[in-house]
Formats: sequence, C-alpha cells, structure tokens
Amino acid sequence: MGHTVGIDLGTTYSLVAYLDKESGKPQCIPGPYGDTLCPSVVSVDEDGSIVVGEPARRRLLTQSARTIYSVKRLMGRGVADVQDELKIFPFRIDPGSQNVIRVRLGERVFTPPEISAFILRELKNWAEEFFGEAVDRAVITVPAYFNDAQRQATKDAGRLAGLEVLRLVNEPTAAALAYGLHEQRRGRVAVYDFGGGTFDVSILKLISTGEGDIYQVLSTNGDTHLGGDDLDNALMDVARTEIRVRHRMNLDAQPEVVQELRKALIHAKHQLSSADRATVMVPLPDESVYMREFTRAEFEGLVQPILDRTMGPVKQALADAKLKTEDIDEVVLVGGSTRVPLVRRMVEQFFGRPPHAELNPDEVVALGAAVQADILESGVKNMLLLDVTPLSLGIETMGGVVAKIIPRNSTIPASAQEMFTTGVENQTGIDIHVLQGERELAKDCRSLARFQLRVPPGPAGLARIEVKFLIDASGILQVAARDLRTGEEQTIEVQPSYGLNDAEVEKMLEESIEHAEQDFAERQLIEARTEAEQIVLATKKSLALIDAEGPKEMPEVERLGVDAALAALRGAMVGSDYLRIRERIEELNQATLPLAERLMNRAVSSALAGKRLSDV
Amino acid sequence: MTAGTSPAEASATVCWSCGVAAAGERFCAACGKIQPLPRGADYFALLGLTRKLVIDEDALEQRFHQLSWKLHPDNFVRASEHERSLSLECSSQLNDAFRTLRDPVSRVEYLLSQAGMRREGQNKQQAPPELLEEVFELNESLDELREARQAGGDPEAKAALGRRLENERHRFEDKLEVVDMELEGLSSEWDRALDANADQAAQRVLMDRMNETLNRRSYIRNLVQSVQKELAEA
Repeated sequence: MGHTVGIDLGTTYSLVAYLDKESGKPQCIPGPYGDTLCPSVVSVDEDGSIVVGEPARRRLLTQSARTIYSVKRLMGRGVADVQDELKIFPFRIDPGSQNVIRVRLGERVFTPPEISAFILRELKNWAEEFFGEAVDRAVITVPAYFNDAQRQATKDAGRLAGLEVLRLVNEPTAAALAYGLHEQRRGRVAVYDFGGGTFDVSILKLISTGEGDIYQVLSTNGDTHLGGDDLDNALMDVARTEIRVRHRMNLDAQPEVVQELRKALIHAKHQLSSADRATVMVPLPDESVYMREFTRAEFEGLVQPILDRTMGPVKQALADAKLKTEDIDEVVLVGGSTRVPLVRRMVEQFFGRPPHAELNPDEVVALGAAVQADILESGVKNMLLLDVTPLSLGIETMGGVVAKIIPRNSTIPASAQEMFTTGVENQTGIDIHVLQGERELAKDCRSLARFQLRVPPGPAGLARIEVKFLIDASGILQVAARDLRTGEEQTIEVQPSYGLNDAEVEKMLEESIEHAEQDFAERQLIEARTEAEQIVLATKKSLALIDAEGPKEMPEVERLGVDAALAALRGAMVGSDYLRIRERIEELNQATLPLAERLMNRAVSSALAGKRLSDV
Repeated sequence: MTAGTSPAEASATVCWSCGVAAAGERFCAACGKIQPLPRGADYFALLGLTRKLVIDEDALEQRFHQLSWKLHPDNFVRASEHERSLSLECSSQLNDAFRTLRDPVSRVEYLLSQAGMRREGQNKQQAPPELLEEVFELNESLDELREARQAGGDPEAKAALGRRLENERHRFEDKLEVVDMELEGLSSEWDRALDANADQAAQRVLMDRMNETLNRRSYIRNLVQSVQKELAEA
C-alpha cells in the first residue's frame, strides 16, 4: 500500500503535504522547482501532452488558448451558472456543454474534474518523487461552502488522478486543525479563509476530552465565488479601461497581452501588502508602454466593496452558532488574500481582537489535510473533527416549494428519512427532486439530483416507500430507498443535475490510463522544453527590439555569445535529455543578462536590474 | 450525489460477525465489531437517556462526544464495506439525535411525534384567539410599511413606521420568550409525571398541552421572522 497525503486543491495554487512521523508535524512537499506552491494552471501542448504548474503558468503568456487557470470556479457548475464569470475569465467553453461544462484547450476538450485531476496527478508525482514510493490515497480539501455537486466533482477529480479520496475536508476546518496542533488552542475559534477564488468562514469549538481533542464546527458560511481573483479583476478593470482610453487600444483579441497585464497587476497587488505604492509597467503591442502607479489607498478603495461581501457570511455564521463577536476567543486568518492589510484591519475591527496569522496562510490548509490524512491512515487518533453541512438539504413538494429535511450546519454524517406514497391509482413511479439551499422555492435553490421511485401498481396512497437521505462525512449525499410493504431495498438511478455520472467517470478513467501515464523523465522533458521555448522566444523578441534601436546598441562579442547559447539550446531541445536542456537554458540566461539589463534600463529606471530576461 | 444502500438492519440481537448475542449494544462484547442500530431505535435511547425533557446540556454534549469518538466514520476508513456503512448509519443517527435533543423545543417536538401526539394546528395561518388584536395591529403596520416602500414616500414617515414595527417585534419576541418558559414548565411537569409513574391518560393530557403550546410558539415565531425579514428589506 502506498502513502497517504493531504492535498489543498486551490483556485490559484495547490499544495501537497504529509505528516512527518519523526517530528509529528505536517510538512508541505516541494516540487521540482523547490517551491511548495503548484500554480493551479494546466496547459495542453501541441502534441497533446499535458503541462501543469509553473511551466503551464508561463504558457499563459504565450499560449493562452491552450492554457487554463482558476478551473476550480467551474467545478460542479453548469454553463448557465458561469455566465458572469465568462465575462472576466478567459474560459473557452465548448458549445456542446450544458450541465457539465467542457473546456476547450487547444485541440482537446476536458471537463473541470479532468483538468483538476491533472493538477492532482502533478502533486501526486511530487509526493512520489519525494517518498520514492507510490502515493495512492489522499485527503483533499474543499471550500466549506461547496455544495454537493462541487464536492462530488472534486472527488471525481481525485479518482481520475488515481487517488482514493479518503475524505473531503473543509478548508477552514483543516486550517483550524493545523493551528490547534501548533498552538494548543482551546475555546471558540473563528476561521476567516479568504483564498484565491473562494471565501469561507467557520466557527469552531475546540474541546479537550479524555480521549483527545475535538474540533467541533458550530457553523459555516461563505461564498464559493469570492476571492483574490476578484481583487485582481478590479485592478484589471481599471487598467483595461485606461488602456482603452489613453492608448486607444482594445485588448480583447490579445489574450497574451491581457495575461501579461494580469501578471503585472497581481505583482503590484502583492507589493501593496507591504509597500505604500506599486508601479505597473506593461509593454503594449504598439510598442508603447502602459505605466501606472497604484497607491495602497487607491487599491483599498477599489477592493473595499469586494471585501465588504465577506462580512455578511461572517455575521450569518455567528448568528447560526448563536454567538456574539465577544464570545469568540480566537480569530484565525487563512488564505493568501488575507495578506491584504485592509482584510486584517476589517477582521480585527469586527471581532475586536487582532487575528492570528502565525502560520503561512498559503500552507496551513494543506498541513491540516495532512494531519487528517494521517489520522485516517494510521487509525491512531488523538483528535476528532466534527464538521457540518453548509447548506440545507430539501426536496421539492407541491407548488415548487422546498421542504427542508436536513438543516444547514447539521453535524455530518447527517440523515433524514421521508415517506412517500402515490397520489393516483396505478401510479408506477414517484419523482423526487433533491435540492440544496436556504430559499423557499425550488427554482431559487441548487438542484442536486432527480430520481424516480418505482411503485407496484395499486390504489392511490397504498404504497409506502421510505427514502433515506444521508450526507456522509465528506458532505456528499447518498440516497437509499426501501419499500416498507415488501421490505425490499430499491436501487436508485440518480441523475446528478450538475456533474458526471458513474459511467462517465469510469470511461474517463480508462481513457486517462490509456493516454496519460507518462513517466517522470518524460514529464521533465516536456517541462524543460516548454521553458526553453519561452526563453528562446523572449531572447528573439529582445534581440529584435535592440536591433530596431540601431546596430551600435549591443557589442559584437555579446551578440556572438547570445547567438551561440541560443544555438546550443536549440540543439539540446531536439534531444531528449532534460538535464542538458536545463544546463543550456541557464547558459542562455547568463549570456542574456547584460541584454536584459540594457533593455530594462532603457525602459525604466534601475529598479528591475539583475532580473533574468525570462522574468521581464 | 451517489446512490447507496443502507445496511440491512438485523432485527436479530446476534452479532452479524461472530454470532454471539449482542443485544442493543453499539459494539459486540465478544468480537468488538460495530453493530447495526435496532430498528426504530429512539434518540433518547441512543444517547443513553430516559424520555425525560429536562436535560443537562453539558452532560448531553459530553455523552455525544464520547459516542462520537467510537462511532465516527474516521474509525472505519480501513474497515470492511459493511462496517463502514454501519458506522455511517450509527454516527448519522447519533448526530441527528444530538441535534434534535439538545434544543429544548425540538426535544419536545420529537417526544410528541414519537408518541404520535404531534398535531400541527388545523390552520397554521389562524392566530390564537388571545393574540388576535395584536396580530391585527402588527399586520396593519406591515402593510403600511410595504405600501410606503412601494410608493417611495417620505423617509421620515418610513423611519417612524420602522420604529413602530421594531417595537412590535420586541413585543412578539417577548411573547416568544414567555411561550418558551411555558414549554419549560411543561417539560418539568412531564418529568415529574414520569417520576410519579403517571398513567397513559395523564401523559396524554400533558402531551396535548405541549402540542398546543408548540403550535402557538410556531405561530409567534413565524410572525417574528416575517417582521425581521420585512425590517431587513426596509
């Protein structure tokens, strides 16, 4: 049996962690570039091979039509749900998609679980490389406010990646687990988790018992489409408007420039967490440069309305836990977006106490997942998570009204039994429509699934079919039905409203095993080649720029050096030795350093000096 | 959402695994395997309680935590499929039981529905007679507020209406508290009746009174909720 890991499958970054038996502490596993953060970006090469993580992120700038980020926003959703998002995210939705979105990447078409599976597989590879052994089981975290379809899609992704998903754990709960372990906290804790694409708040009670510590979630709330992405988009709005007005340029048909701009704005956003001002500089296709300084005050004014949207869920979670702000003993910040100083101020002001942020907000969720993975794997238990379902479960009744059968914030597993009977003589089936949400009418709630109960013909009202709805410890619904008159169990064909059915997942699984099993060296080769392509492209662009300035701009010796390194790298790229390609990349980087500096000095001040050409 | 089947509930009191008698216990005394819940197991019994209504909530929570340690699916990740589904069944029932019994109102509701004595009002919309006048006033204020909002209207008049509604909301919230106290009193009365081995007829009388109180409570609570909603929108 292989290893078990904890995985944070994030909107922007994903991480994999394990529990180190010697220290008893969870650790994140670094990838081939030494970083523990794997960008949640997937790209499809012309030859059909899949590129994931950092190399895929670079390809956003050169091959945006073959590359996708923030796919988590599409998990478990239908085309109609994501119309708003399509205005700001460059998702290329296949026209054939309906209740399961299909995304076009180059020549191929994938569902969101398949794309997420590529990310999971990459992390699985990181861990296997690290252990030198197989990894086949995982605990994967999801936003606490994810509904059934979004959870099921995540579980499907795990299965497609060749992982047995032992449990889905809510992100804020995982963070609390990591914090509790670290700080030995007790009492009532509020976790404010503002990530790349999702916002969650959970109120927990930490209790010490004779058997160990219990982490009991009292309530949870959130918004599965609210995150750092939205802050980026607010900046993008400003920049694109200004480019349209000042530079008379529409970037709609220039996805690469848009990605360049986005990258620069995200960098500025990060700088504004510690600096008072940040400058963005992006070359535009007409050779002009979009240059813009943002102050922190301006940034805060821009994002305030977005951050305000987090407070409604916070208040609701408190009310559901029947607590007031002063009942909260500790507040914990999780997620990269909580680095924004305004977020910290807002949270501190609301709870009247400074929040904790001692643990790395990017890693803490993965660390908690690793702790839970170890508990499930080893069977040695000194802590217990009691989580809740974020949304009420209901069934549609007469007139489209929803009857709630499991209220939100019920501890999971949770169940409800309902009795059904026929309304007319010789009726042979009863249609059941299951929904999730807080609204009164079915049309305002999230449709989860429909199924039909079979009834033997007879007079109206004679049949007695008992249906058991059960939400398991991962927050996923199971349904079982039984004819009380015969005692017979009924197997139910559930048709998920949004998501893949079992047969579809099975088929994808077969296909992925046939196609995608690449060994480690092969993957390395693809990544090295991708990186090489980018630097070759960047070098050629820079040479053209410098040539346009006149022949004297670059010393002959330097030019020869660059040409030689370029030729050497191209030679290596034809071969299949990825180490050799990496060496040649480094050589070319060295050779182009003076060139990069010259170009940058020309464009700006000395602020960017010393960077590699490929970073510019 | 996945379709599953619930584990076949053994009506027998013999351990499904080793065959030794394991009556009513969560785990077989002989082999330690988790056992199915007896059919129709009631929430009180599940938490080791008699059918009394005044419950020490801290002790209840402690009992819930103790049982959670044993029954939670975390313990059965590596167990057989059958044991996993038994754990799912038992722990979901445990959670349902705790959720129902920790709240004094749903506790009474549960007791009555188990006894077949929970009867909701003939007409849920109909106000209890003693509240008629006040409910009439409240509805009038609500109508005025809605009209004022639709008409746009003068903000000061709307604010005054809002304040009036606020007051009425408080009045009904106070009534809700009074009903809750009544229910508490009835709960103690029920416990004393059980202690005194009261007969079925006496129990039924008490249950009828509890049922009537629950109906009144749900009427007032609906009122409070609709006023809250209206005020939130205004």
